[in-house]
Amino acid sequence: MVDVTSTRIGGEPGRPDPADWRRYFSFSTDHKVIGIQYLVTGFFVFLLAGLFAMIMRAELLTPASDLVDRALYNSLFTMHGTLMIFGWIFPALAGLSNYFVPLMIGARDMAFPRLNAISFWLLPPAGLILLFSFFVPGGTAQAGWWSYPPISLENPSGFWLNGQALWILGVAVYGVSSILAAVNFVVTIVWMRAPGMSFFRMPIFVWTTLTAQIIQLFGVPAVTAAVVLLFFDLTANTGFYNPARGGNPVIYQHLFWFYSHPAVYVMILPTFGVVSEVLPVFARKPLFGYKTVAISSVLICVLSFFVWAHHMFTSGTPDWMRMFFMITSMAIAVPTGIKIFAWTATIWGGKLRLTAAMHFGIGFVATFLFAGITGIMLAAVPIDIHVSNTYFVVGHFHYVAFGGSVTGIYAAIYYWFPKMTGRMLNENWGKIHFWLNFIGLNLLFVPMHFLGLMGMVRRISSYDPQFQPLNVVSSIGGFLLGVSTLPFLFNVIFSWTQGKKAGSNPWRALGLEWTTTSPPPVENFAEIPVVTGPPYAYGQTESPPLSESPGQP
Amino acid sequence: MTIKQNLTIAVLVVLDALASYWVGQTSQSWLPPQAAAEAILVDDLFRFLVTIAAFIFFGIEGTLLYCYFAFSAAKGDFSDAEPVEGNIQLEIAWTVIPVVLVIWIGAYSFDVYRQMNILGPMQVVHLHLPAGVEPAYAATPEAGNPPDEVIEVEARQAAWSFRYPAASQVTSGELHLPAGKRVRLAMRSADVLHGFYVPDFRIKQDIIPGRTIDLSFTPIRPGRYRLYDSQFSGTYFATMTADVYVDTPQAYRQWLVRAGAGQVPAPVPPASKIAEPSKVLNSGWPTVGPSPRQPEGR
Amino acid sequence: METPFAESPKSSATETDHQDLRLIGVTIFLLSESMLFLMLFVAYITLRLVTPRWLPIGFGGLELVQPAINTVVLVASSFVIYFAEKALDRHKLTLFRLLLLTTSAMGIFFLTGQALEWRSLPFGLGSGPFGGTFYLLTGFHGLHVLTGVVLQLAVLARSFVPGLYTAESHFGLSATALFWHFVDVIWLVLFGLLYLWR
Repeated sequence: MVDVTSTRIGGEPGRPDPADWRRYFSFSTDHKVIGIQYLVTGFFVFLLAGLFAMIMRAELLTPASDLVDRALYNSLFTMHGTLMIFGWIFPALAGLSNYFVPLMIGARDMAFPRLNAISFWLLPPAGLILLFSFFVPGGTAQAGWWSYPPISLENPSGFWLNGQALWILGVAVYGVSSILAAVNFVVTIVWMRAPGMSFFRMPIFVWTTLTAQIIQLFGVPAVTAAVVLLFFDLTANTGFYNPARGGNPVIYQHLFWFYSHPAVYVMILPTFGVVSEVLPVFARKPLFGYKTVAISSVLICVLSFFVWAHHMFTSGTPDWMRMFFMITSMAIAVPTGIKIFAWTATIWGGKLRLTAAMHFGIGFVATFLFAGITGIMLAAVPIDIHVSNTYFVVGHFHYVAFGGSVTGIYAAIYYWFPKMTGRMLNENWGKIHFWLNFIGLNLLFVPMHFLGLMGMVRRISSYDPQFQPLNVVSSIGGFLLGVSTLPFLFNVIFSWTQGKKAGSNPWRALGLEWTTTSPPPVENFAEIPVVTGPPYAYGQTESPPLSESPGQP
Repeated sequence: MTIKQNLTIAVLVVLDALASYWVGQTSQSWLPPQAAAEAILVDDLFRFLVTIAAFIFFGIEGTLLYCYFAFSAAKGDFSDAEPVEGNIQLEIAWTVIPVVLVIWIGAYSFDVYRQMNILGPMQVVHLHLPAGVEPAYAATPEAGNPPDEVIEVEARQAAWSFRYPAASQVTSGELHLPAGKRVRLAMRSADVLHGFYVPDFRIKQDIIPGRTIDLSFTPIRPGRYRLYDSQFSGTYFATMTADVYVDTPQAYRQWLVRAGAGQVPAPVPPASKIAEPSKVLNSGWPTVGPSPRQPEGR
Repeated sequence: METPFAESPKSSATETDHQDLRLIGVTIFLLSESMLFLMLFVAYITLRLVTPRWLPIGFGGLELVQPAINTVVLVASSFVIYFAEKALDRHKLTLFRLLLLTTSAMGIFFLTGQALEWRSLPFGLGSGPFGGTFYLLTGFHGLHVLTGVVLQLAVLARSFVPGLYTAESHFGLSATALFWHFVDVIWLVLFGLLYLWR
């Protein structure tokens, strides 16, 4: 083991000086500062878009449309979806990757630090553009986060500066940011690994970041093309999608889903990586089937580009297309299943340290399994015809995005917070957070599946009275989920300033990021380490010493 | 492995199978009544999928729960676990079994879809091919049952209307269908995307403006059902519903006669749907209201 | 016992740091960019296949001669910038500047030709899918040509700063040349799709 802790460079990293916080508001090119900028900005958007969701859940407590007017309701679900995906999950994962990929591969920074800062600083304007649309005459975009034409071309205010145009602009800026970040990640991971860090010695988090960013690289241009054409239809009276002008609205759907389905894998792959990091550390066992887990990420990445039309089984798709995409969509379950089995086998026979991070890690596997199973059902065309565009899909998607991505992000924060701040989070409050979160999310999203099976269509602000009981349960879960962010928020704020000192390796984890100080100095390593073994050698190599490991239960 | 371990596993697998069989049988109660022949096919597939899903779900969640309690490290135990890196046989098994399962599910779903045949022989040509190619489709002889009834459906923002060529082109605001006969809906949209969705029939189809989209199915269970718009279509999207009646053949014929005489409820005037409860929060944003145009033919 | 990491030998460690990855970065960015064009092409091809009446009423088809000349000039300019690079490699600074200037002049010729064609056409952006895709595709490509010309002029200006461009290190020029080849290849596809496909 390298002892880098004694040879600090770049000042006194363990103790941030009082003026230190200011660098988080600066155009810093340090990947660690940028990582935290991403995470914190994302979390604010998460709280805001979560608030939108809670207003929607309040509206759905009663069958009548009596809390917000219908235009506002439509605006809320549109902004909720757009902000959660582009403003929270993508940035939060980009933040984690930004912070930890260079550390995990033994690099001093990302390949292009200035580009990295630009990628981040494109986000606040994009988010502000979207939020600004609440104040333009026609209000925000109201056609859902898919913005299917022709409904997205309606522009009821008739004003050139309208919510839909701002939505397109905001999404385009998010897209540019994503592409630049993707270039940076791919170059960093492929060309900047430390000596000895061969592909099959990379931690799974690095693998999943690489595959997710490759999807971004080739996928984001598709959605950019889709919304650019939409913009011209909206403002320049072109006829790409507008049937009234000779266009074809289905082309938009193809372009949009060609990216937006793989986008789900962009949101879930890095959290697969997080769980593959967390489970071995706290089970004190190597990751079961490391190579198959790594290869399955690549398979998911490739397959994800051939499944998009399963979102369009009830659009005007012909039979052959329905069948082709049914088979590919089911096939992608195989590499995903391999991962779930591998994680289960990893904790089997382990010596589990049930920390907050481990709770979120196991919780991730438990909830994501459910998402995967309902995903197979949705791939089966006859079932999908019944449940597509119903709450079944909403429930399924949120099991992926919340039960999967958000739970994974929480796991990552509980696991890596000591590295990022040099201080421990409070474990008990972490576990309270976990249980509130876990109960809340199941209460919120399980009833949605049943509502969908009964035939409740998504995106409606009033509904048949027969759907009310389950909607009430769902709303209670939603409010509980809102409450669950409070212990987390206070825990983070309190621990960041007053928490127990973490030391460089509180969990006695293997992995390059734990060989440097917490937080790591500028440029990360005094000496670039040479890697000589596999990433998860628990039980095979000497574990880091117990002393200086305050994370042991 | 010892005999005892093998036996325990066998017992657990049997228990899992029994539990998932029970869940599969329950799954019918999660769904609305089977009002069309297609619903029976879909529900059978759903029951099959739920049974398999429950088996996997209980199996893995049970294992996770067991690990959570059984493998928790004792206080003060800082040692590492036995370093099992993998197991080739196990990994092959959990790759091959899902592959086989996926092929099975895929084949079954394909078969069910083929039997449903909802797009019918006059299948939607997804991307209208150049004029020269299209007749090839039209020339295909109609396979299976030719539809007994053709009804024209028109969707416009927040309103459905149905026209019966069999009853001298009368237009109605509610959809009447004869039980036991294969019907074909010829669907058009006057403005944006809409979706025809009757949960009790288990069928759904988007309606794309500028095209006529055919949808065939066989209603079987007389009763009153609800038609929803399933593709977001604007501010008053949630109000875009209509009543669907599956009538016995005699009742249907009588209805057509009455309809021919003009004694049917007119399409609901969309404007009346805006009478809504007052809201707590009003944005005051301009909206595209329900289409003021009355459907043609009346 | 085996450990996963070892002390690094001094030499190999720092080499990875200072490796110039910028050209790789540009290449990967252009891969992403070509995906954007690919998607626009796909949208164009699909629209064209599904639209019953493609050309606006009273319009016979696009003029071929002027765009063909334009194409030849643009393709030739790709070779010129290649020779400019070669010239810099052989330390012939004046020749390099001359060739680079020629490249941008050819780019400007192309842009002018495009502008003239746009002005002569009887249909607009709003003339159905045909007008929309034509102006969008040529306009979007034209923006890329303009960017390329600006980059070339910037490289030309910077070549007067002593020591910035050497035969060994001239990332700016390499990136500009790569971009120019990319713009060229895109145009060839575009020319086939818009003009040759009747």
